[in-house]
Amino acid sequence: MYNSLELNESVRQALDLYSQSMIKIAFAYLKNIADAEEVAQEVFLTYLQKRPVFENGEHEKAWLIRTTINKSKNMLKTGWFKSRNPVPEDLSYLPKEESDVLQAVLALDKKYRIPIHLHYYEGYSIQEIAAILQSKPATVGTWLARGRLLLKEKMGGLEDEEICL
Amino acid sequence: MKKSVYKSAMSRVKTSDDFKEATYQKMMSDIEKTTQTTNINHKERFKMEKANKKKLTGWTVGIAACAVLSFSILTMNQNAPTGTPQPTAGIVQAPTSGKVAVNIDGVISEVSADGKSFKVGDLWVKVTADTKLGIDGPTAAEPSEELLQKEFKVGNIVSGFTSGDVSTGEVTADAIYNNIAPQNDEAANPPAKGKAAVNIDGVISEVSADGNSFKVGDLWVTVTPDTELGIGGPTAAAPSEELLQKEFKVGNFVSGFTTEDVSSGKVTATNIYNNMAPAQ
Repeated sequence: MYNSLELNESVRQALDLYSQSMIKIAFAYLKNIADAEEVAQEVFLTYLQKRPVFENGEHEKAWLIRTTINKSKNMLKTGWFKSRNPVPEDLSYLPKEESDVLQAVLALDKKYRIPIHLHYYEGYSIQEIAAILQSKPATVGTWLARGRLLLKEKMGGLEDEEICL
Repeated sequence: MKKSVYKSAMSRVKTSDDFKEATYQKMMSDIEKTTQTTNINHKERFKMEKANKKKLTGWTVGIAACAVLSFSILTMNQNAPTGTPQPTAGIVQAPTSGKVAVNIDGVISEVSADGKSFKVGDLWVKVTADTKLGIDGPTAAEPSEELLQKEFKVGNIVSGFTSGDVSTGEVTADAIYNNIAPQNDEAANPPAKGKAAVNIDGVISEVSADGNSFKVGDLWVTVTPDTELGIGGPTAAAPSEELLQKEFKVGNFVSGFTTEDVSSGKVTATNIYNNMAPAQ
């Protein structure tokens, strides 16, 4: 039992440090900022309730990202989420090139979208992504390769990209 | 795609400015809720005890109030008159003026020697030359001997009316509509004759050793050579083994009738329409 005064410092720190990462990964999953923020909030509440113990900051971030992905999946499965027809997120304020890239990535299947986000936004390696997604590194490598191929077909480029293994 | 483009795009995606603050507030309220949960349990128990006490007090007061009310009502009713209220003696109803017509309807029980008077109930009715006989008017039926006989005889049904004072026991009829002779001869209404038939319908529960009798409900039915089997008539279906099996077996559904007295518990079937094996 703890009160507001005893709000864990680590939770507050996590809120400062990782909230944007969590919102962005949830956005990559749900394609909607409002839903993404809701998921991120739920993750922090879970963090507060469960108070998991971490070895280090990276471990903590990985846990938060993993939990965000799980909660995003859960939200996708809910009936109300499936039944609604949301207005696409307005990204017109972004420069055209950025907007096009973002739209192209969001248009990919989530199987490819999430590894690409984790790699290109968070800068995780294939092995790290494999650990977060609880998959084999080879599988993650395949997802990244296919995702890139699909993006190349759509937009061109990617030849100069290298994936850190 | 260059790494920097995607990262830059994602970084520029706008999020709520107050996300951190809102999340922080939510976490605070969540903590408060968790803290209050245990306190609520204690409070609820205390409230329950208090509520029970209040309930008991309420019931006691209610029952006491009912008792007081019942006593008051009984006390007040003792002073009230017990019987039905008598009409006020001071009020005298004015006598009805004008002529009153009284119906004459009934069976003649006595006829005078001259045949001009008859008795219906306790009233002697005299028929004079002024008495109107029959029914007139545009819709009246043709006068007939059957409905208006010339002679008044004992047993005849008469109807009409008088304006005389019936309390004297003797009046003159103003009109006689009908004077109908009773239909009591057997030729007119012959008594009903013939036998009563009783249906035999049900499932055979028992069959006699010889196979000629079976039990349906509480009734034993015997089938003799005189029993007519099947359904006759021009519209009857062709006889079939399915509808009328040769043997009577337990579980078969039979239908028919008997003209014998079923109260004896044993009858001979007059007709058996169907003897069907149960559906498999």
